[in-house]
Amino acid sequence: MDKITTGQAAVTRRGLLKFGLGTVVAATALGPGARIVLAQDGQVLKAINPAFNQDWSPLRGGGVPFRWNSYWNASAMYFNDKGEIQPYVLSEWAPNADFTVWTLKLNPDAKFADGSAITAADVKGSWELSAMPGTKNQRIDQVLSGVAGYAAVKDGTATDISGIVAGEGELTVTLAGPDPIFFQRLANHIAPIVKVSVARGADGNEVPDWFLGANGATSGPFMLESVDLDAGTNVWVPNPNFFGPAPALARIELTAVEDNVTATEMLKSGEYQAHTELVTSTMVLDLGADFAAGPTIPTSQHFWFNATRAPMDDPKVREALILAVDRDGLIKASFPDGPHQKTDTVMNSVPGEDDAAFVPYPFDPEAAKAALAASSYGGPEKLPKIMFVGISSPANEAAAQYIAEQWRQNLGISAVDMKPQQDQYSGPDQNAIQIFRDDVGTRVPDAPSYLAGSIASGSGNAQGKMGGYKNDKVDALIAEALALPADDPNRVAKAQEAQRIFRDDFMFIPWYKQTMSRWATANVQGMEKNLDWQVVAPWAITIA
Amino acid sequence: MLAYVLRRLIVWVPSVLLVMLGVYALAFYGAGDPIKLIFLRAPGDVAYDPVKIEAIRAEAGLDRPFQVQFASYIWNLLHGNFGNSLTSGRSVWAMISAAAPVSFLLGLMTILVTAVVAIPLGMIAGLRQNSRLDYAILGTAVALWAIPAYVAGPLLMVLLLMVLPDGAVPYGWGGLFSVKVILPLIVLSFQPIALILRQTRAAVIEVMTEDYVRTARAKGVPEHVVALRHILRPVLTPVVTQLGLIMITIVNGAIFVELVFGLPGLGRLTVQALVNNDYPVILAITLIGSFLVMASNLLVDLLYPLLDPRAADAKEAR
Repeated sequence: MDKITTGQAAVTRRGLLKFGLGTVVAATALGPGARIVLAQDGQVLKAINPAFNQDWSPLRGGGVPFRWNSYWNASAMYFNDKGEIQPYVLSEWAPNADFTVWTLKLNPDAKFADGSAITAADVKGSWELSAMPGTKNQRIDQVLSGVAGYAAVKDGTATDISGIVAGEGELTVTLAGPDPIFFQRLANHIAPIVKVSVARGADGNEVPDWFLGANGATSGPFMLESVDLDAGTNVWVPNPNFFGPAPALARIELTAVEDNVTATEMLKSGEYQAHTELVTSTMVLDLGADFAAGPTIPTSQHFWFNATRAPMDDPKVREALILAVDRDGLIKASFPDGPHQKTDTVMNSVPGEDDAAFVPYPFDPEAAKAALAASSYGGPEKLPKIMFVGISSPANEAAAQYIAEQWRQNLGISAVDMKPQQDQYSGPDQNAIQIFRDDVGTRVPDAPSYLAGSIASGSGNAQGKMGGYKNDKVDALIAEALALPADDPNRVAKAQEAQRIFRDDFMFIPWYKQTMSRWATANVQGMEKNLDWQVVAPWAITIA
Repeated sequence: MLAYVLRRLIVWVPSVLLVMLGVYALAFYGAGDPIKLIFLRAPGDVAYDPVKIEAIRAEAGLDRPFQVQFASYIWNLLHGNFGNSLTSGRSVWAMISAAAPVSFLLGLMTILVTAVVAIPLGMIAGLRQNSRLDYAILGTAVALWAIPAYVAGPLLMVLLLMVLPDGAVPYGWGGLFSVKVILPLIVLSFQPIALILRQTRAAVIEVMTEDYVRTARAKGVPEHVVALRHILRPVLTPVVTQLGLIMITIVNGAIFVELVFGLPGLGRLTVQALVNNDYPVILAITLIGSFLVMASNLLVDLLYPLLDPRAADAKEAR
């Protein structure tokens, strides 16, 4: 064997080879670890997105990319995680005496990422742009439907909302009718403030891909530096000209991982720290209570009855189906470890949610049987098949299966079907679906607004899910409540009375009130979200 | 040969137009208007406003009659314009040209891996018919065939996630020579390997009984020369055909593998387009898929004379 003599000890070639191999192994094993231990140049938040979203425009008012709006876009105002309104691009707001004209003052410090000031024309233009049909903003109605001149832009017959006048440092908004809480409707990221000269074309429509390339046309704490739509990766970097607190993070990297099992394992391993929206029935078990924790928001999920379709056309049948379900068991079956909480009412997490006079539906199988026997159908054997739709996730399926089993045990009903979407039923069945699982809610912490969007006859929920439900007393009470000032106790009282009347129509199976989960591992701070599904203060996110 | 290729292309055009007409009609008259779906699938706090939705449809030209929309699409296609996605507004050509190379490269690598693994194993199994080695190889083929990609993919991914250190999980597309492509290739190759292995074995068993093989052995030709020169050539002809079809299948729809491993290929794009009823993307994918089938059949036809001179002679005789 060759020896290399180095003074007192002889080093063999075999020894050198072993040393070299050991060095390589150590470097390979410790290298990645060392990369983790070494200080990053600033903290990097790595998050998972559940889809390869192809459209990252902040003006869509919904969808998965909407959840990221507050990171890179500033809104007129916003709600914090306690439901308190905060100034942002707009710093002051005041109505006239009858709440039909609102004066909104701009924050003089508000600026875009390129350093230019945000003007009143930018605010007006941003709202008009969101209202244009070509922008396909899902929720702009919730923000601007009460503004004079909005309908013409929504219908595509105009490009200017006549009820909004942009002045020097302020806007004057004229409404079609009195709205004491109009200012609250602006406090969300449905129509964020963007640089109109970049985002809006001469024809009034959105310029394609205007938001790509960190061109300074957005106004949030971060800028969208790069998007690879095909690889499913986004990168945000701090906005050097942000007019609020400087962000603590150096970088945010978002990667599309469509498979929930893979995403869960990646979060558990620590490779990623956050998720846009992870909904699995074992989320708490897999990732801990901290991951799913958060405040409850004014959104709730229920099973709605279409009262125009047999057998829901008989109120006794509806009563029987509701009373036969043990709703404590329902929440245990669907969310055994949380984070959502059982609810008895339509409206939740708004002033007035606790109503001592409201009587929750009891679990009473005997009363349910009696109600079914007293109905025009006489018993379970004469009922048509009962069909659910909206059963699109494991939790929904668990809940619907639980309900079906309760009906089987307590009422003898066995003909039940359930599907994610309406068009998955065969032809004639599509128009016979009786039960729709869906959420209702509001982006303002206001009881009448909650009910206006859920049980008022003009709401999409009443028309689309409840088959055109209309109760004149409910409508009248909601309309009266909406016209009252925000601090008038009758505003809440009337909404509560409307809800009690609705309860007696037996139109839904109450399920849960929504917890707005952090969807971030325990070492991430500052990921609290508000009722707009936005991270409240993205600038404050840190990683321990 | 050029005339032959041109003739094949000319015959392909009307057939692909017919297919696209059928696909467009299914998308148009089937369930799910792409604009309405955006609002129908949104949560309950998004109102379904028919007036607003009609305004958006008019903006996108979806309120025109079927024949006008289809004719307009074909006219634009002839000018090289595949249109824009109805859901995202993105150029369809940009979406396809980003996804197609990923699927194409995956397909190519899969058939290479398949050929390298399955053909030799199939030869060995055929040459050692009814031996323990043959049974072991066949058993492996059956096992691989039995495991579908949508089981193998997630299972292997979860196993890897549990044993590999952070940052080493093979997710996403890092190019053909990235380690991330190893696991998807393995999963994609399971069933093709099983198929080609069994086909090769069957072909070898059949060819081994031919007179010329017996003659070669009788002349004292070494066994490996008999196998490579006298048996392999005729065996390759049907195997190459099969490999071409396998590649098209993978390029057009390795959906589960692309979903599990995050590969931005045509399979994933197809699923997104179908779920959203995104007509322009569906039509473009149909066109690409149809072209690939035609091209692969043409390529195989052109390769046949090289693999089997008797096929060239038969063609000339005709």
